[in-house]
Amino acid sequence: MNLKKYLSLTRNGIMESLQFRLSMFIVFVGNLLYLIVVYFLWKAIYASSGEEVVNGMTFSDTLIYLVLATALFNFMEMYTVWQMGRAIQSGAIVLTLLKPMEIRRYMFWEYSGNFVVNFFATLLPTFIVVSVVTHGAIPLGLNLLYFVISVVMAVIINYNIDFFVGTICLYTESIWGINIMKQVIVLLLSGATIPIAFFPDTIRTIVYWLPFQSIYNSPLTLLLGKSSDIRDVGIVLGTQLIWVFVTYAISKLFWKISLPQITVNGG
Amino acid sequence: MAPVIDIKNVTKEFKVLNRREGLAGSIKDLFSRDYKTVRAVDNITMSIEQGEIVGYLGPNGAGKSTTIKMMTGVLEPTSGEILVNGKLPYKNRSKNAQNIGVVFGQRSQLWWALPLVESFRLLKDIYQISDEDYDGMMKLYRSLVDIEPLLHKPVRQMSLGQRTLSDILAAFLHNPKIVFLDEPTIGLDVSMKAKIRTLIHALNKEKNTTVILTTHDMGDVDALCRRIVIIDKGRMLYDNDISHLKGFFGSYRTLKIRVDGDLKKEAEVIGKEFPALKVEADDEWISILVDEEKITVMEVLTKLQKTRRVRDMQLEEISTEEVIKKIYEEGVE
Repeated sequence: MNLKKYLSLTRNGIMESLQFRLSMFIVFVGNLLYLIVVYFLWKAIYASSGEEVVNGMTFSDTLIYLVLATALFNFMEMYTVWQMGRAIQSGAIVLTLLKPMEIRRYMFWEYSGNFVVNFFATLLPTFIVVSVVTHGAIPLGLNLLYFVISVVMAVIINYNIDFFVGTICLYTESIWGINIMKQVIVLLLSGATIPIAFFPDTIRTIVYWLPFQSIYNSPLTLLLGKSSDIRDVGIVLGTQLIWVFVTYAISKLFWKISLPQITVNGG
Repeated sequence: MAPVIDIKNVTKEFKVLNRREGLAGSIKDLFSRDYKTVRAVDNITMSIEQGEIVGYLGPNGAGKSTTIKMMTGVLEPTSGEILVNGKLPYKNRSKNAQNIGVVFGQRSQLWWALPLVESFRLLKDIYQISDEDYDGMMKLYRSLVDIEPLLHKPVRQMSLGQRTLSDILAAFLHNPKIVFLDEPTIGLDVSMKAKIRTLIHALNKEKNTTVILTTHDMGDVDALCRRIVIIDKGRMLYDNDISHLKGFFGSYRTLKIRVDGDLKKEAEVIGKEFPALKVEADDEWISILVDEEKITVMEVLTKLQKTRRVRDMQLEEISTEEVIKKIYEEGVE
């Protein structure tokens, strides 16, 4: 494998992403507003419950979790469904298909520069701020390593799901509804908007058997690592690894059987 | 030598849903299985040699883009066989991509927000072009166009002409065997068109690249192509040298004269004098379509002058444009 061509895509992605300074600023402000809403919402929830600890989480536990989930969301969201949908509608997908690289790889690496930028622009600052403000809510130890491994796998799972949903656009030729549906499902079932601990028992069991919780819940659980038991960590990472392979296989297969929509029926 | 593109009896059909009209129709369409088959390309056969520039012409919707997409491997033919560089293009699309370059009219493969040179560097890496080849190509580009100011300009700030030029350079960068240009001069001004034609011509000469060019601009065809292929409604109408095409129709010339008196009446009289020729009159000229294989223009003119005073005259060659128009309208017998 020639790594240079992938890194070259990353490099261009970084440069392109840096061109849009204003958009980075707006994203930052938007997130701030979102977090303020989250703060008051959960404050109200805790106040109305009248208890310090709800579902095993204190108010600050929940808030820290959600702040980090938001940062992680901004880091990981790739808008692949949008891109694929637009490329399919406009026919520009032809150009991507004619790259000397498999399309799923090309699109991933084309975006990858944004990971680097977003890491330094949102994830790392949020991490530091949370760390400093809470005086050690984030343990600094092996859990950081687990977190990094977990995030890498989460990114891959997230991309596979996005690519799968993007492929549906080959049949529907519309993006809007599909994309919204995907976002809602992923954000809800992954634990990005509500910590999974708050779900009712049956739903929580179902969610644990779905790939979505591997995207946000797993890395955050490892990061905030209540349990540093190596077996627990192994189970979380192992589950993610399984989902990496399963989602990869499914989205690849789906793309393969769907491609004739273009090659046979025309773009 | 084996042809670089070999197309044998290729047909491409699309299944299209029969749409109904109105709101009720649209709702019924949701559950409709009523498809009709549209034949976009119908039994086309041609072979193209390395280094040729082939003009691929046809009215809108004739099936040009479909054919090009099949050659690039984006579309699979319904029946028949296409070989590009001896391989089936849709089976090995990613590998085949190494040997082809494409410019699709208004679409750009360049990185929008970045200076052109960054797109070039990326292409260098993903096509795995060696430093030596890359430098050689850039040197060639420098000798052909004034590329230096373009290289450091973000693509989104470029004019359409500059961007098209850049896209063409990008398509040739990895020195592919074949470059497909789908309407490269669409929407460009005259001087940019000329620049782009010169560039394509030079790159073809220098690198012996096969160029397949679709266009509606006969200027492109006259400047670049020795061979043209014309298709309409998916069927191939013509595949031969452009000179042959002109010879085919070019034995006709139009003689235009202006004489004293009423042109309409005069035209009728002339029409009787030369029953074999088509004579028409408008407000200014009497046009006589002369088939030079039967009678020369000079003979006609001499004969005309004997009986009346010809005050002015013009001689019109049939242009490629007119020939093509004639073929679109009537076909080749």
